[in-house]
Amino acid sequence: MSVIDSIMAGLALVGNVEAIVSLAIGIVIGVIGGAIPGISATMAVALTLPFTFPMQPINGILLLLGVYKGGIFGGSIPAILIKTPGTPASSATVLDGHPMAARGEAGRALGMALWASCTADLISNLALILFAGWLASFALSFGPPEFFALILFSLTIIAGVSGESLLRGALAALLGLLLATIGLDLVYGTNRFTFGDPNLMGGLNFIAVLIGLFAIPEVINMVWNPTGHIGKVQALGGKWVTFAEYKRCFRSIVRGSFIGVFLGAIPGIGAAPAAFLSYSEARRKSPNKANFGKGEIEGVAASEAGNNGVAGATLIPLLALGVPGDVITAIIIGAFMVHGLQPGPMMFVMNVDIIYGLFIGLIFSSGLLLIVGGLAIRGFKPVADIPKRILMPIVLVLCIYGVFAVNNNIFDVGVMFVMGWVGFVMSRYHIPAAPFLIAFILGPLLEDNFRKSMLMSGGSPDVLLRGPITWFFWALTLIAVLAIARGTLDKARDKG
Amino acid sequence: MNKRAIQVQLGIGACVVCVFLILYAIPYWISAPSNMRNIVLSPRFWPYAIAGLTGLVGVGMLFANRKANADDAPVNDPIQDPRAGLIRLAGMAVLMAVTFWLLPRIGMVWATMLAFASLAFLVKTRHPKTALICALAVPLLLYVFFAHVAGVAIPQGEFVRLP
Repeated sequence: MSVIDSIMAGLALVGNVEAIVSLAIGIVIGVIGGAIPGISATMAVALTLPFTFPMQPINGILLLLGVYKGGIFGGSIPAILIKTPGTPASSATVLDGHPMAARGEAGRALGMALWASCTADLISNLALILFAGWLASFALSFGPPEFFALILFSLTIIAGVSGESLLRGALAALLGLLLATIGLDLVYGTNRFTFGDPNLMGGLNFIAVLIGLFAIPEVINMVWNPTGHIGKVQALGGKWVTFAEYKRCFRSIVRGSFIGVFLGAIPGIGAAPAAFLSYSEARRKSPNKANFGKGEIEGVAASEAGNNGVAGATLIPLLALGVPGDVITAIIIGAFMVHGLQPGPMMFVMNVDIIYGLFIGLIFSSGLLLIVGGLAIRGFKPVADIPKRILMPIVLVLCIYGVFAVNNNIFDVGVMFVMGWVGFVMSRYHIPAAPFLIAFILGPLLEDNFRKSMLMSGGSPDVLLRGPITWFFWALTLIAVLAIARGTLDKARDKG
Repeated sequence: MNKRAIQVQLGIGACVVCVFLILYAIPYWISAPSNMRNIVLSPRFWPYAIAGLTGLVGVGMLFANRKANADDAPVNDPIQDPRAGLIRLAGMAVLMAVTFWLLPRIGMVWATMLAFASLAFLVKTRHPKTALICALAVPLLLYVFFAHVAGVAIPQGEFVRLP
């Protein structure tokens, strides 16, 4: 199929009202979810996932991608208006966004956040379209040893999402790997931790685990401390961002977008570091560097460009290699699986129409984000005023219906409840949930490819180093491990 | 709980889990063919590797904690009345267990209505009327979506069945 044919096939899939409406609804849900502190883009994607089951695969995935992109921008609204980032990615936006809001320029800050987000989103989507196909064609020559080396390298993602302690992140990942072994053995079909229960033979349901881990702990946290409240909402003010200001910040926006694209394409780094790096680069290069931290509009533009630049780029490893770029794309993998699609190089051969449909939909998403975001800025106050003690029971009921709907199985609801308590205990012990989820997804792939490699070679480990591709990934893994070890030692030395 | 206490508890916990997995859980709860010639192909190999790494991480945590500076600051935000908080948590556990038990018996719609109302009551909502309306409306709306749009066979229970 030529590129033109592929584009036409993609257009045939998304060139209809249903697809565009799915994307727009996704962006609305994302912006609202991201704008409510305590919901976050991650939880919004997890909660929306079950609603995609009856949809066409392309529409369902576009809906989730809309939630993802809307959620990243939505997080900037409470960051600016109430000094509470809706998502971790918006932490850098607080630095200049809230001081602007405090002096009555919230509308100006939010307007710049929106424009910077849309510009960065567009650049990120173009990077995805340019690089994903190329990477996938390269990955078509991968066999089990190459995939094993790649997934092993991808597990170094865990260092990026471990937060304050690498060891706690590693512990979470090991727990995820352990729970992923539940079910029938991949090669011999023997029981592993199934206790003779047929419900466990297929392993723990991925959606039940992820919703249990990301949504239910928020409900339990609210039960533990129901009076945790959000801050005072600032007024928008009369001033709005001008085109001249956008032009002045354009260099920082483009620079931040490329930083986001670069960091987003590397699995595990995520949006928050990209936002901070983009912010610090903008401050370093800006003639107004003294104003940064006191309400400089360029600071808002740079941090929002950094975090939104990540949103398209994290889909590069997802679509091309089948490896999630961050936690949200790990959840989106679940949507692909539910719809019978396996992201990775083969998808560029078997489902090229869906790939191009997604590309076209993503280009539309930047424009839709501009429209929806503009409306959301004006409508934020009622969203912020939803009482949390009404919101969390709604989340609980949504989770029950959503998890049941995956397999029509009440057992999955029980798994979700148990995982909710596991997630709550993990949060009390400051064990990050993201490494758990990533290891839970990658664990079976890692084991499967390892054992296939061993079967191919009759048990000889030499097969794991059989050619330049495996050497390349082993070298990357080594470099990543050394960088992580060095970073950990430096941190320990700084503290000591 | 301060950082040190967390680290020690997690380190000891990881070591205990490692020993339990290696000595009991893996040998007894994972079946492997008796004629395995190569250990790396055994269904037990991967869990053993994970158990070993868990032990290493546990030891690492204890070791890192020994070298860390003493910091007695609590790591979790304090709440007004921890005892009441624990009672609420116990209530939440009961609520989940009862909901799970009720789902196949009275049906998902009625069970989730009860769960919604109980949770709103448990956290002492300041908007009881809104909570009650939402407790009735949200499960019904979700039922309509999943049963009639998505075609999911929502459990109806043995008593009152919905169209």
